[in-house]
Amino acid sequence: MERVKTGIPGLDEMLQGGFLPQTANLIEGAPGTGKTTLGMQFIYHGIVACGEPGLILTFEEFPQQYYNDATNFGWDFRQMEREGKLRIVMTSPEVSKADLEAVGGRIEGLIQETRAKRVLVDSISHFERLSEEPTQLRSIIHSFVNALKREGLTTVLTRESIALLGDSEGTDDALAFLVDTYILLRYVEIESAIRKALLVLKMRGSNHDRGIRQFEITSRGIDVRAPFEGREGIMSGSPRRMVDSFVQAFVRR
Amino acid sequence: MEEVELRRIFMEEKMNEKELDLTGRLMADMDPGLLDFLQTKVNSFVKWDLVRFFHDNPHTTDTADNIARYAGRSIDTIRTELADLTRDGVLEENQLGEMTVYSLAPDPHTRNLLEQFVRASDDRQFRVKAIYHIIRGTRQ
Repeated sequence: MERVKTGIPGLDEMLQGGFLPQTANLIEGAPGTGKTTLGMQFIYHGIVACGEPGLILTFEEFPQQYYNDATNFGWDFRQMEREGKLRIVMTSPEVSKADLEAVGGRIEGLIQETRAKRVLVDSISHFERLSEEPTQLRSIIHSFVNALKREGLTTVLTRESIALLGDSEGTDDALAFLVDTYILLRYVEIESAIRKALLVLKMRGSNHDRGIRQFEITSRGIDVRAPFEGREGIMSGSPRRMVDSFVQAFVRR
Repeated sequence: MEEVELRRIFMEEKMNEKELDLTGRLMADMDPGLLDFLQTKVNSFVKWDLVRFFHDNPHTTDTADNIARYAGRSIDTIRTELADLTRDGVLEENQLGEMTVYSLAPDPHTRNLLEQFVRASDDRQFRVKAIYHIIRGTRQ
C-alpha cells in the first residue's frame, strides 16, 4: 500500500513505511517535546524528497517563527514559499473551519495553487476555545479534519498535553477516535536525566510498531532511535528497571 | 514701537515658514508613489502596524478581533483603521458565514507598493521621514 513518508529516521519504520494517504495523524506532547519540529520535518520531506508541496496552518506562531526554526535544521522554508511549494498561513480555528466549509475558500485556493498534498495544523488544541461542550467540539473538529481529507491532504495535527511527565490529565480523548494515527511524545526521567520517548498508540488500517522508542532532536531534525530496553513504566514518566520490579514483586516477599 | 514689534513677529513667522518649508521639502524627498501611499493610505501608526502584519502574513484572512490579538492592539483601536485600509484598497473585506474577515487585497499594484514600503521602512532615514508625515497628517 502507498505510504506518505515522514522522512523521520525510525518513525517511518514504526509506521510500516509512513502514514496512509489522506489521513489525519495526531502528534501529542508536552511543550518542547518536538511536535512542531516533527510536523515541519513531515512538510519539508514532502517538498524536497517526494515532490509534494505543503501547507502549514498556524493558530499561534507567526510564519517568521517557522522560518527561523526551520533554518536551524537547514530547511529554507522562505525559499520554498518563494518557489510556491509551501504556504504558511496564520489563521484562527473558526475562520479556517468556515473557510474550508465554504466553496472556493481561500485555503482551498492555496491548496489548488500550490498543489499541496500535505498539511500541518499547529495546533488543534486551539479548537478547544470554540466550544466547551465535548460533543459539539468533537463535531467541529470532525468536520475540519474531513474537509482537509476532502482536499486530498495528508494531515499532521499537533496537540499540546499539559503534563510534562507522565500521563496528561483532563485531555479529551474524543480526538483520539477521530484521527487515523495517534502518536505520543513524552518526557521520561531516567537516572536523573530527561529523555524523550515516542509511542505510536494507534494506526487505523495498518499494522505498526508498538514499542516505545527514544528520540532526539538533532541539528537535522528528529531522529527516532532504539526502544527503551530493560525498563517498564516508560510512559508514566518515571520508568523502573525491570530487574527492580522483579525484585520488588518476588524477591522481597 | 508697535510697528517694530509687528515687523519682528512677521520676520520670525517668515523664518519659521521657511524652516518648515525646508523640512517639508527634505522630508518629501522620497519616491512619489511611496509618499502618496504614506499620505493617503498608511497615514497612522496603527495602519503602519497593520500593513506590516499583512505584508508578513500575506495569506492571513481573519476577523478584526483575531487581527487585533495578532497585532497586540485592542479591537477598538484597529476597527476604524481596518475599515479605512479596506476603503483605500489595501485590504479587502469579505463575509464568511456570520463573520466579517479581512485579508490583503489581491491588486498587484497595491501589493507592490506595500512591498516597496516595507522594504524602505528598513532604512532609518525613510522611517524618520515616514514618521514626520504621519505626525503631520494626524495634526491636520
